[in-house]
Amino acid sequence: MPTVQIPTPLRPHAGGLDVVEAEGATVGAVLEAVVSKHPALRERLFEGGELRRFVNVYVNNEDIRFLEDLETPVGERDEISIIPAIAGG
Amino acid sequence: MPFADDGRDPLERYSRQMRFGPLGEEGQRRLRSSRVTICGCGALGTVLANHLVRAGVGFVRVVDRDFIETHNLQRQILFDEEDVASNLPKAEAAARKLRAINSEVVVEAVVADIDHTNILELVSDVDLILDGTDNFETRYLINDAAVKLGKPWIFGGVIGSEGQTMTIRPGLTPCLRCVIETSPPPGMTPTCETAGVLGPAVAVVASFEAVEAIKLLAGKLEALNTELIMIDVWDWAFRRLKIAALKDRVDCPTCKHRTFEWLDGKQGSHTTTLCGRNAVQVAAPRGHRLDFAELAARLSGAGEVRHNAFMLRFAADGYEFTVFPDGRAIIKGTNDVAKARTLYAQYVGN
Repeated sequence: MPTVQIPTPLRPHAGGLDVVEAEGATVGAVLEAVVSKHPALRERLFEGGELRRFVNVYVNNEDIRFLEDLETPVGERDEISIIPAIAGG
Repeated sequence: MPFADDGRDPLERYSRQMRFGPLGEEGQRRLRSSRVTICGCGALGTVLANHLVRAGVGFVRVVDRDFIETHNLQRQILFDEEDVASNLPKAEAAARKLRAINSEVVVEAVVADIDHTNILELVSDVDLILDGTDNFETRYLINDAAVKLGKPWIFGGVIGSEGQTMTIRPGLTPCLRCVIETSPPPGMTPTCETAGVLGPAVAVVASFEAVEAIKLLAGKLEALNTELIMIDVWDWAFRRLKIAALKDRVDCPTCKHRTFEWLDGKQGSHTTTLCGRNAVQVAAPRGHRLDFAELAARLSGAGEVRHNAFMLRFAADGYEFTVFPDGRAIIKGTNDVAKARTLYAQYVGN
């Protein structure tokens, strides 16, 4: 099953998990399965059906914006990461 | 006696660094003739400045708007308890330490809030801009200036135990806005206040930035990082996200269309919530410098007031105000921008 890496700031909204497994053939389907399991994540990731503009998603370390966005196909062993913009310093 | 005057080879102090093959003596000479601006002299900025001054970068400008507080000392490595007691601005205290570390380096301290009116002046005469800030508003402003001037800059950010960095060379790599199209709105992202921050996490990220700076200034361009680096020092995580292909594939308003919204003053407020401090900065530029003696006299009935050449501080209504000669104020005790504006109007006056 594809895995989704949850960044630290979002873990409280994903039952404290750092990795969530979810079924799906595309990035969009997998993320939809994740937010169904953890509804508090939905408004943090999506606005309408679109990813929020400040949410960056990578598949195996590649930005989905230069793959096929939410339509990017994923396989059993693929790793999806939600990458936060880190403000402090 | 300054090192350069004692009759020895001025490069001798860098011998261990020059012996590192990829840098060499030629790289060291290039460092000595290089100039950088470090934007922000907090946790990232002090580590950056420390590395670059020790490494022998010829000119280092440190710009910061803030004063040192005791809770900075956990991670801001150039400062000590005496600096807190002396009420020194961070840029000034850092410059004094840096000159003591390496008197060969020209260190310039600038006590100022970086905004669209002054950034070009602060960065146009240097070879590289380094990010030691704690907010995306200033980073997008740096990005605008860097892209406009075609100047490289190195982004770094840290919260908790994790951080990220990337090296931006306008025209050659994606810019900050290609990769991070927009920053999360307030309330959607943790700050140093809510999530805390570990000193070593900052040191690691700033050290990566510093190595990139050394490579870039020494002309070792083939060794530069082309990815978005993510590090978590608590989980032992190190990831390299591939971003090089984003260049030209993203319809970037900044580096593709060359619209500079932050630099033009269209984006970015004049109030800023300060990361981790329950404080708001109100910038109210005015044509003349504030007369602290007069202001202190006016405020003495409202609360406790003290001032020196750099700042005036007073407490009233459970809020602490730090006012600077240019009219800027940091109001502690609230994260509410509107409340801070009101307090500013009430006590300092617009």
